[in-house]
Amino acid sequence: MKEYGTRVVAGVSPGKGGSLVSGIPVYDTVQDAIKEHEVDASIIFVPAKFASDAVYEAVDAGIKLIVVVTEHIPVIDVAKFTRYALTRGSRIIGPNCPGLIVPEESLLGILPPRAFKKGKIGIVSRSGTLTYEVSELLKDRGQSTVIGIGGDPIIGTKMQDIVKMFDEDPQTEEIVVIGEIGGTMEEEVAKMKSEGRIKKHIVAYIAGLTAPKEKRMGHAGAVVYMGMGTFDSKINAFRKAGIPVAKTPYEIKDLLLKV
Amino acid sequence: MKLYEYEGKLIFSKVGIPIPKGIVTEGRVVWNGKAVVKAQLLEGGRGKRGLVKVTDDVNKTIEEMRNSGIGKFLVEEVVEHTREIYMSIMMDRSSGEPMLVSSPQGGINVEEASDIKTLIIPIERGPRGYDIFTVEKYLRVKGLESVIKGLYKIVTEYDADLAEINPLAVTDRGVIALDSKVILDDNALFRHEELLKEIGRKEESDNYVELDGDIGIIGNGAGLTMATMDMVKLMGGMPADFLDVGGGADKERVKECVLKVGNNPKVKKILINIYGGITRCDQVAEGIISAYTDVKKPIFVRLVGTNEEEGWKMLEKVGIKFYQDVESAVGDVLR
Repeated sequence: MKEYGTRVVAGVSPGKGGSLVSGIPVYDTVQDAIKEHEVDASIIFVPAKFASDAVYEAVDAGIKLIVVVTEHIPVIDVAKFTRYALTRGSRIIGPNCPGLIVPEESLLGILPPRAFKKGKIGIVSRSGTLTYEVSELLKDRGQSTVIGIGGDPIIGTKMQDIVKMFDEDPQTEEIVVIGEIGGTMEEEVAKMKSEGRIKKHIVAYIAGLTAPKEKRMGHAGAVVYMGMGTFDSKINAFRKAGIPVAKTPYEIKDLLLKV
Repeated sequence: MKLYEYEGKLIFSKVGIPIPKGIVTEGRVVWNGKAVVKAQLLEGGRGKRGLVKVTDDVNKTIEEMRNSGIGKFLVEEVVEHTREIYMSIMMDRSSGEPMLVSSPQGGINVEEASDIKTLIIPIERGPRGYDIFTVEKYLRVKGLESVIKGLYKIVTEYDADLAEINPLAVTDRGVIALDSKVILDDNALFRHEELLKEIGRKEESDNYVELDGDIGIIGNGAGLTMATMDMVKLMGGMPADFLDVGGGADKERVKECVLKVGNNPKVKKILINIYGGITRCDQVAEGIISAYTDVKKPIFVRLVGTNEEEGWKMLEKVGIKFYQDVESAVGDVLR
């Protein structure tokens, strides 16, 4: 992140306060860190059992943007801390996400820089590596911002929130949505588009055509219960809204307006 | 983790949801008179397959089901009832709160029910009298408090993704849960060690899901792995599994994964799709190569990202096919 140009001012690890990592000072608590530095975002890599505490600590310190990379946090804990953050004005991205990148400007996450180039496509995704894959395929056009919102069933910032932001973002011309089975975020995006609340062109891809029901496919959120959020339901919602759906990640490129 | 019916009912009894009298068995039981014998399987649709039977001769029925390969049974009293209703609580993904789902049409697949009511019950306050009254009125049944509070507790305290009763029988001695479906949140199993010990289950990974086809699939990242499966299907093949090696997998992890897929007798060919970010391609190649000699099945590797050139060189040396784009890899697998 530092190499990419992100100004990483401090690290926090209880008991390691006072040390330096790659020249960056480490503090015992977030409170200690914000006394010394101006901080507008935090990224959390803490193991699942302790990750919730780290989120509460960051929210209490008044940090407005918190990216949670950690995977395997219990769903109910995520439900609690996302609400806590919301009521106190902090935005959470994730958990179980690779973070976000504004190509050639800033990286807040673990996305590999080689896949990205400054451009006009906004990409929002529930996946990690699949996001890198698609981004690299669209490298000729470049990206304005790429965000992995996370593969958990409950997440801090939803797909429809990001699509709305892309729609209002002057740097973004077209939007790529990478979804997967489970939940109803993709259906919400389709609804917003068909109601005219999203003006920009959207291209979608959904993973999970071959996934059996009630089986978690790697991501805690990639599971269909009670017939909600099936592959077909998402594809049909997009089609109805006039959003072209790529059959494979490699078809996305052909469905964008400008080549 | 999906629980067996009898395991779910064990939790039901702990949280105060009424269940029929019954015993779990693998063989002969002492039972007087009529009973329901229910095969304990994780798949649904047991009724249609003749694996739930009302019988006067319990041991004969068990014997018959044993012959068709079933190992575990729940033998229960026959509960006379007037109606069957549906009720479940699950974590609602859009609101981030537990959601109660109920229907007066119990006993059928809830996806097909036309009359359904959902009710969000926020964690901050939990189920209250007016929630219970609302549901009772809708279902035209009294005495649902213990069932609603019990299901709620299973979601909020036992960390279930889903706690379902279908059907819930309405009898003159109150409501009774005839079936159970409980799916625990895998991420939270670490805080329910005692329960797991009691039911004799272990934490399991969701990184591997077995399917019916013959092409073994390994990828890194759930989305990319699913997309790989889907492409195999779209191009005319059938995936044998879903296996995500996870983020930052080292050679040991990759080796273990290739052996797991390779040792599945249904698998004829293996397709590996890796986009290395925090995962290093040289580690991946090393893992594949060390499993290759044991597996003895054709392996096709799509490998790009961090340290890709080292990885390619290593694969080339031992003659494993590698690719930079997924479409050619899938194409060759299916040829």
